[in-house]
Amino acid sequence: MRKVNTMMVNADIFVRDIPGQLVGSLEPISLADGNIVGVVHNRDSVVNGRIAVNITFEIGSVEDLERLKGIWKSKDIIISKMSSVIETYPMEYVLIGNIDAARIEKIINNAGKAVSLESVDIRFSSKMSENKRTAMISANVRKSDDIKKLNAFMASACTKANIVCIRGVGQ
Amino acid sequence: MRIVIAGFGTVGRGFAEVLQMKSDLLSSLDDKIKIVAAFDSKSYVTDADGLDPLILVKRKKDTGSVGSDAMKEGTDVLDSVEYDVLVDTSPTDIRTGGDGLRYIEHALKHGKDVITVNKGPLALKFRELNELAEKNGAVLRFEGSVGGAMPIINLCAENLKGERVRSIRGIFNGTCNFILSRMDTGLPFEQALREAQQLGYAESDPSYDIEGIDTACKVVILANSIFSRDVTFSDVSITGITSVSAEAIALASDHDMVIRLIGEVSDTVLEVSPRLIPKGHPLSVSGTLNTAQIITDLAGPITVSGRGAGRIETASAILSDLIAIIDRRR
Repeated sequence: MRKVNTMMVNADIFVRDIPGQLVGSLEPISLADGNIVGVVHNRDSVVNGRIAVNITFEIGSVEDLERLKGIWKSKDIIISKMSSVIETYPMEYVLIGNIDAARIEKIINNAGKAVSLESVDIRFSSKMSENKRTAMISANVRKSDDIKKLNAFMASACTKANIVCIRGVGQ
Repeated sequence: MRIVIAGFGTVGRGFAEVLQMKSDLLSSLDDKIKIVAAFDSKSYVTDADGLDPLILVKRKKDTGSVGSDAMKEGTDVLDSVEYDVLVDTSPTDIRTGGDGLRYIEHALKHGKDVITVNKGPLALKFRELNELAEKNGAVLRFEGSVGGAMPIINLCAENLKGERVRSIRGIFNGTCNFILSRMDTGLPFEQALREAQQLGYAESDPSYDIEGIDTACKVVILANSIFSRDVTFSDVSITGITSVSAEAIALASDHDMVIRLIGEVSDTVLEVSPRLIPKGHPLSVSGTLNTAQIITDLAGPITVSGRGAGRIETASAILSDLIAIIDRRR
């Protein structure tokens, strides 16, 4: 399984408008084993003696993020917004058998009930052989726990439908 | 070190050739090696003073038989000579374990060390054979049974002693890998299989390879020997490559992936199935090579690769087991 990103976090924080505060707000990200992707430091907008900083960073886990939030709080850094927390695991399947778009859609809809799907992409082969069609499903799940669940669901659904299911090597 | 070679077929012949090729190395050992008996399905030959490996190979080549005496029961041949190590290269029988299972059991019961490349007995009776060896103070080694010349069993057992092996995934069947590699170029399955047969990579009845049976045997051997599991062939979830279509290969390729038959084993997994592999991944290799990725707790992933079949290649694994036994006896 290829883990494309751990958690990509976008945060709006307010730091006091005195020298050293910007660096002081970024250092804790490294302390929490995070990786800074981008920083927008808006010096023109000062509210109650604080300036807004928008930071985008990767971080390994929810626990690390909580640790970071604790450090910021201890440094009197105000978090005004934190969003776009994405944790995805790519999953790939090739299905071979008597399949059509409606059948695949049904499988995916049911998969969506079993796990948290972030995104799904389906491609069909242009050719058929022996009345069998081939489809490739590329999906992203949000939780690592969902990897096994989705694999089990796909294996079961495909077995019931007499469809061959080939999954990714790391899944 | 007195050796009996059981099943003097392709691999047995290769082993005799290797003994000759490595005579300088072997003559430097304290314990001199000599073949005191060899037998195949038709004939046997014994000599307490030692048989010339090259004469055995020549006779087999010229007459189709290794010995001049008509074959009797193999265990009787074993009983008729004094020996230290049985080298079992008899054909694999995954249903019953075949003659090889009887020879191995017989040798171990008599406290003789055994080296085997025969997957059947190991896939069916691994625990029983190991218990038999332990009970009788004998050693059972089988490096050549998985991956031919590719070191994996002894690598994990001896060189990665401090590691916890989390999982092993690998390409353990060169025939399937050749077929799937040829399908990468646009050939349909049937044509790729025919080509494999013409080149001698696949048998006229290829089901043992393409149905995943051969790989499953190897997965069982790895599970029992490296993960200390107690599993047998029937415990493996097996899907072969016959259902892999040219369209599936093409779709995978559009996504920068290939399809390979992967054997996977861990504390909880025991599976053989075609899997999607990203191009550039260590398991995306082409051709007849065997490749395994060992995931360990300290060293992370370790990848080994080598020729999975061939008489000299497999014989090289037997030789390494033999030298290990000699070292152990010092």
